[in-house]
Amino acid sequence: MSKKYWKGVEELRNDAEFVRLKNNEFFEQLPLDQVIEKKAQDVNTTPRRDFLKFLGFSVAAASLAACEAPVRKTIPYLIRPDQITPGIANWYASSYFDGYDYCSVIVKTREGRPIKLEGNTLSSVTKGGVNARVQAAILSLYDSARFKTPMVNGKASKWPEVDNDINGKLSAIAAKGGQIRILSSTVISPSTKKAIADFSAKYPTTKHVVYDSVSVSAMRQANLESFGVNTIPTYNFDKANVIVSLDADFLVNWISPVEHARQYAETRKINGGKKSMSRHIQFETALSVTGSNADLRIPVKPSQQGAVAANLYNAIAAGTGASAVSAPSVDAEVSKKIAAIAAELLANKGKSLVVSGINNPAVQNLVNGINSLLENYGTTIDLDNANNLRQGSDTDLSAFLDEVTKGGVAAVLFYNCNPVYTLPNGSAFAAAMKKMELTVSFSDRPDETTSVCQYICPDHHALESWSDAEPRTGVYSIGQPTISPLFATRQAQESLLTWAGTPANFHDYMAAYWNANIFSKASGSWNKVLQDGVFELPAATPKNYKTAANLNAAADAIGKTNAGGFEMVLYEKVGLGNGQQANNPWLQELPDPISKITWDNYLAVSPKDAREKGWKQGNVVTVKAGNVSVKAPVVIQPGQAFGTASLAIGYGRTVAGKVADNRGVNAYPFTSFSGANLSRVVSGVDIQKTADEDYMLAATQTHHTMMGRAIVKETTLAEWVKNPAAGNAEELLSVKVGKHEEVKKKAGDMNLWADFDSGNHHWGMSIDLNSCIGCGACVVACTAENNVSVVGKDEVNRSREMHWIRIDRYYSSDADPKEGESGDIKKMEDPSDMPRVVFQPVMCQHCAHAPCETVCPVIATSHSSEGLNQMTYNRCVGTRYCANNCPYKVRRFNWFQYSDNAQFDFNMNDDLGKMVLNPDVVVRSRGVMEKCSMCVQRLQDGKLTAKKEGRKLVDGEVKTACAQSCPTHAITFGDFNNPESELNKMWDPEGRSYHLLGELNVQPNVYYQTKVRNAEERKEA
Amino acid sequence: MSNRYISRHISFLVTVFSLALFSFTTVSAQDGEALFKNNCSSCHAVKEKLVGPALKGMSQRRPEDWLIKWIKNSQAVVKSGDEYAVKIFNENNKVAMPAFGLKDEEIKAIIAYVKAEEQKPDAGAPVTTPGAPVAQQEPQPIWLYLLIAAVILYILSSVLGRVQRTLSQTVRHKEGQPEPARMTRWESSLHWIRNNKKLVAVILIFLTLYGSVKGWYSLMSIGISQGYTPDQPIAYSHKLHAGDMQIQCVYCHSGAEKGKTAGIPSANVCMNCHKFVKKGPLTGTAEIAKIYKALDYDPDKGTYGPNPKPIQWVRVHNLPDLAYFNHAQHVTVGKVACQTCHGPVQDSMTVAGQYSPLTMGWCITCHRTTKVKMEGNAYYNDFHKQLLSKYGADSLLTVESIGGLECARCHY
Repeated sequence: MSKKYWKGVEELRNDAEFVRLKNNEFFEQLPLDQVIEKKAQDVNTTPRRDFLKFLGFSVAAASLAACEAPVRKTIPYLIRPDQITPGIANWYASSYFDGYDYCSVIVKTREGRPIKLEGNTLSSVTKGGVNARVQAAILSLYDSARFKTPMVNGKASKWPEVDNDINGKLSAIAAKGGQIRILSSTVISPSTKKAIADFSAKYPTTKHVVYDSVSVSAMRQANLESFGVNTIPTYNFDKANVIVSLDADFLVNWISPVEHARQYAETRKINGGKKSMSRHIQFETALSVTGSNADLRIPVKPSQQGAVAANLYNAIAAGTGASAVSAPSVDAEVSKKIAAIAAELLANKGKSLVVSGINNPAVQNLVNGINSLLENYGTTIDLDNANNLRQGSDTDLSAFLDEVTKGGVAAVLFYNCNPVYTLPNGSAFAAAMKKMELTVSFSDRPDETTSVCQYICPDHHALESWSDAEPRTGVYSIGQPTISPLFATRQAQESLLTWAGTPANFHDYMAAYWNANIFSKASGSWNKVLQDGVFELPAATPKNYKTAANLNAAADAIGKTNAGGFEMVLYEKVGLGNGQQANNPWLQELPDPISKITWDNYLAVSPKDAREKGWKQGNVVTVKAGNVSVKAPVVIQPGQAFGTASLAIGYGRTVAGKVADNRGVNAYPFTSFSGANLSRVVSGVDIQKTADEDYMLAATQTHHTMMGRAIVKETTLAEWVKNPAAGNAEELLSVKVGKHEEVKKKAGDMNLWADFDSGNHHWGMSIDLNSCIGCGACVVACTAENNVSVVGKDEVNRSREMHWIRIDRYYSSDADPKEGESGDIKKMEDPSDMPRVVFQPVMCQHCAHAPCETVCPVIATSHSSEGLNQMTYNRCVGTRYCANNCPYKVRRFNWFQYSDNAQFDFNMNDDLGKMVLNPDVVVRSRGVMEKCSMCVQRLQDGKLTAKKEGRKLVDGEVKTACAQSCPTHAITFGDFNNPESELNKMWDPEGRSYHLLGELNVQPNVYYQTKVRNAEERKEA
Repeated sequence: MSNRYISRHISFLVTVFSLALFSFTTVSAQDGEALFKNNCSSCHAVKEKLVGPALKGMSQRRPEDWLIKWIKNSQAVVKSGDEYAVKIFNENNKVAMPAFGLKDEEIKAIIAYVKAEEQKPDAGAPVTTPGAPVAQQEPQPIWLYLLIAAVILYILSSVLGRVQRTLSQTVRHKEGQPEPARMTRWESSLHWIRNNKKLVAVILIFLTLYGSVKGWYSLMSIGISQGYTPDQPIAYSHKLHAGDMQIQCVYCHSGAEKGKTAGIPSANVCMNCHKFVKKGPLTGTAEIAKIYKALDYDPDKGTYGPNPKPIQWVRVHNLPDLAYFNHAQHVTVGKVACQTCHGPVQDSMTVAGQYSPLTMGWCITCHRTTKVKMEGNAYYNDFHKQLLSKYGADSLLTVESIGGLECARCHY
C-alpha cells in the first residue's frame, strides 16, 4: 500500500468545505465583483479602455466630418497685366536705402507681391551682395504695425485734412519768420534733395539737418581738415595687401559693409593660381565680426585706440622720414606689434589700407596721416569718387539741438530718423518737441518720435515707392515700386512737394530730374535704367593726396583724452544694426555671429574681468555712466579687451511694435557729444551686480570650442603654400586585421552601402571657409526663401530654432591639443580669453549615405538620383529618429504649428505677414521634421526653364538662396555631373577640400575648403 | 387576430403609403412657372420685351400647336418659310431662339402659366396663380416601384405566414399534439438562428465582406473629388467653346504652356471675342452679360465703366498645397495633351468638372508608364545617351527611369 500524504487535516477529515474548494485553482475568489462595483460607483472616472474607445470614435467622427472639402473660389484678373503669368515670378530692379543700409537689389514678385530681395550684380557698389538687414526689409514691408492712414495727434485722419492743417501751420510759421527744420538721416536720393530744396524755396526759413544714428561725422571733419573735402572716400579693400583696422567693423556695419565685404573677400580667396592673400590686422575693443576674421587681432581699450593710431603713425613716419608726433605710450606688447605692423605696411606702400571706425577727428586725422605717408590715396582710398552713404554732420546736429533747447525752432519735419530714440538725450528732445508749433514725421511705422509728433504723414515703404540713389558720386541707382501701396500712405517727397505748393507725381518728378540732370551728363534711357536698376557714369581717376592737417595738434588732443575706470563701447549688431528694423522677427531671431545670442542685447565683458568681479553669464548688472543707468544681463565674451565692456545699440525700443518693444535695453543714451562729435565710447562706467534673478539669454550655440576635433580645418598661408593639403589631414581609422594586428585605413575605403546611380544632375555645394565672414546673410536669405518659421526667444532657448542653415562659431581653446596629442577634455571646453575665431556655415550636407534615411520608419526622408536628401513632410510622423541620427544636427523639428498660432505672434500669424511667404514652398505644420532642401524649388524651376528652352542647364544659372545671397561668394552651388562647373573645378581633396566629419564616410554632397590665415604662428594668444 | 396585431399592420401600411404619396407629389409637381423660369425667362418676360418679344397674348396671336412647334425648334419653322415665323425672326434682329427639348405637355404648361400671368394686375396685390395643369407623364423613379412591390410582398408574406400558422395549429389540434410554448418574437428569432447556423454564418460572412469592401472604398474616396462639377457663376460651356468653336485650350488657359498654373482666363481674354459675339447659341445674352457686368462694360457704347468687379469662379481642381504640380512641365516639356488629365472637355463638358482622381497613385501610375520625350530636347542630350547605354537602346525610358517618382520632384 502506497503512502498517502495529506495537505492538511481538512483533507484527512474530508470536510465538505474542503471538497468544495478542492477543484478550485484559487483558494479564494478573485475580488472581481468589488472592482467592478467600485467602477460602477465611481462614474466620474473613465476607464482606460473606454477612454480609448471614445478617442477612437471621436477621431473617426472628426475625420469623417472633415471629409467635406470646402468650396474654394478662384478669382482671376479682370484685365491681366501682360507681363504677369500667375505662377511665374517677375523680377524688378530696384534700390533699397533706409538711411542706414544701401543695396542695389532685384525684387522677386509673385502675382504682384514682392517676396524676396536679391543683389543686383550690375551695381559696381554692392556687386550683387545683400546683407541680412536688407534681405529682411521685405518682411518689414508686411509689418502689421505700419501706419494705415495719416495721423493727427494719434488719431487717424485723411490726407486732404492733414495737408490743409499742415499748409496752414507752415504758412503761419513762415509769416512770423519762424524756423522750420527738416531733420533726416543721410539722403542719397538726388531727386529727394531737389524736393527738399523746392520745399525750402517755398519756406525760406527751412534748413535741412542731416545726422546719422551711427555717425562717422569725424571722418568728414578730418577729411576737410586734411584734404579740404567734406567727403567720405570710397575704399578699395580689394587693392590692399595689408589692411589695418582700428575698431572699424567694415565687413558688416561700417559705412558700406556689403561693398567692403565683397572687396575684402576678393583678397582672401586663394586657389591653385592665386597663392597670396591680404593680411588683416584689427585693433578693437569688442570682438566684432571683422575682428574675428582678422589674421591678427589686438584687443585694446577704447582709450588706447588713439594712442595706437599715434604710435603707428610714428612708426611709419620713422620709416618714411616724416617727423614724429607726440604719441602717448602704449602697452609694451602692443608697441612691439605696432612696429611689426608698420614694417608690413611700409613694405606695401600704396597697397595697404588703414581705416578707423572711431568717431574722433583727431584719430581720423592721424589715420589720414598714416594713409598719406603710405601713399594709399589714389589706390586703396579714392577721395575723388566719394561714398555718399553717411552724410550726417554732428556739428549741424549739435547746433540744431541747441536751437531746439532755446526754443528757436517752430517746426520740424522728421524724415527717416528717430531722434527721440537715437539721440543721447532723447527724452529731453521729446519734451522740447511738445513745445514746437508743428512736428511732422514721415515714418511709415510707429517709433519713439512719432509717438510725440503732432502729424504723422506715413511714407511708402521702399518697395512701394519711386526713388533714386547716388551711393557713390556718379553711380546712380533707381528704386521702383513692386507693389501698390498697402495702406493709405504717401511718398514723403510727394508730401513735401504738396506743401511746397507744387504737388507732383514723384515718378514724373524724378524722371524729369533725371532727364535734366543725369542724362545730360551721359546718354541713357529711362527704360534701360528701370531694367538695369543702375546708371553709372565713368568714375573719376583717383588722385594721390597728402594730408594738410595739423597732426601734432591731433596727437595732442589724443594725449589729453583722459579715460578712467571701466570703459564701454557701443556697437551695432549684424541683425538689428541701428535698431530701425527692430520690429522684424527675422532679424531678432538671427543669432549674433559672435555670441550666438538671439532676441537680446547684453553687456559683454571679458572672461578675466568676469572672474575677477565674480560675474556669471546671465547675471543682471546695473550699468551706470554719468546720469545714465540701465540694467542689463552679463555675457562673458572671449576676445573682449580687459577692463572693457560692450553694449549693442538698436535694442530697447518702446514704440516699435509687438516684436521689438522692450527687448533688451537702449544703449543710445550712453552716447555723448565729445567735442562736436557723437562718441560711442563711454568711460568711467560703473557696473554693479544686482540681486535680480539671472536673465535668460537664448543662444543657438552653447558649445564654444571644437574640443580638439578638426571640424573647421585650418592652416596658415605659409604652410598652405608649401603644402596645399596643409591642415587637411584625413582622419584614419584603426581596423583590426587578423587577431592582433591593426592597420590605419581611410574611412572612404570602407563602404557599408552600395553607391547611388547618378541622374542627370548631381547637385552639390562648396563652402570656402576662407571667404566666409560669418555675416548671416545666408541665414536670412534661407528664411525668406524657404518660409522658415520664427519661433521666439523661449523656443530658441530650448534649442528649437528652425533655421535651415546655421553658422557655427568656434573659439580656440588654450587646452587644444597639438597633432598627435590628446587634450584635457574638461579644459578644452573653455575658450581662450583672447581666442582665434572661426565660422562655419552648416546646412544639411545631403549625404549620399545619409544616416537619417536608414532610420526613418516611414521613409519620409529619402535620397534622390540628383544627390539630394529629400524630406517629405506629409509622410513624416515625427519620430525624430532622423534628427537623432544626423551627425551634423541640421534637422529641425516643428514642435508647434508656428503659423496661425497666437502663441507665436510673428509674421505667420497675420494675413499681412503671410504675404511674404514663398508660394512654391510648403508651410510646415506641427509634428514634422524639416531641413535644408538645397532649395529644390529653385533647382526644379531652373531645370524646367532649361527644358522649356530646349538647352542644357548652364553652370551658375541655378543657385540656392544661401549661395545667391552670400556677399563674399563663399558658397558655390553647382552640378558635379557638369565637368565645366565651378563646383567640380574647386573640388580638390588633395588640397583644401574636405568633408565635414569625413571619418564617418557619410559621403556628403557639401564640401568645405580649409580656412587659411595669413598669420605666422598657428596660435596667437 | 388580435386588435393589437391589426393596428400595428395598419399603422405600418399607412406610413408607407403616405410616404409614397408624399414623394409622388414632390416629384411630379412641375408647374409652368418653374419651366418658364428655367427655360424662357433669360430672354422673355410676359409683359415686356427683353431679348425676345413680350409673351403676353401669344396664345391669341398663334394657335397652340404652332407655338409648340416654334418652341421646340424655332429655326426649323423659320426655314420652313412660315410667314409669321420669318416676320418675328426679322423683327427681333435675327436672333435665333435656341431649340428646347421640352415635351408638349410642358410647353402647354408654360403657355398656361403665361396666360395666368397676363391676367395679373401690373403691380401690387399678389394674385394666386391658378395651378397650371400638371403634367403626369414624368417617368416614375424606380425606387417607387420597388417600394410598392415591397409593400405587396410584406402583406403577402404576413398573410401567408398567418395562414401557415393557423394550418399547423389546426393540424396539431387534430393530432392532439400539445401546443408549443408561446415564444416571444426575440426568442423565435434566436430559435430560428440556432436552427440555421450555416445559413446565418454564410450571410454574416457576405455581409462582413460587403461591409469591408464598401467601407474601404468609401474611406479611400475621402478627399477625392473626381467628378466634382460645381455650379459656376457664369454658365460657360467648354463643349461650345473648345468643341463646337474649336478654340484651343491654351488660348484661354495660356499659363499652361508657361508656368505652374494653367490659369482661369482673365475677363479681357473673353472680351477678345465677346466684344463682337454678344449673343450665344445656348443662353443668349444672359451669360455674356455677366462678363460685361464684371468689367462694367457697356456693349452698346463699347465703353468700360469705373466699377469692375472680378468674377468669382469656383475652383474645380484643388490640389493640396503639399503637392507641387507644374503645367508647363507636362504640357510644354512632356507634350501631354490636356485631355489626358482633364478628359474630353471639348466633347462632353458643358460645365467643367474634375475628370481624374488627382490622387498620388494616379500620378505615379502615369509616371511609371509614360515615355519621356527626350528626343529633340537638348536639355536631355547627354542624359539620354547615358540612359540608353544603361538600359539598352530599345528600352522604354519612362518618367520613373529619370527619377520621376522621387519625393522631392513634387513635394517641397
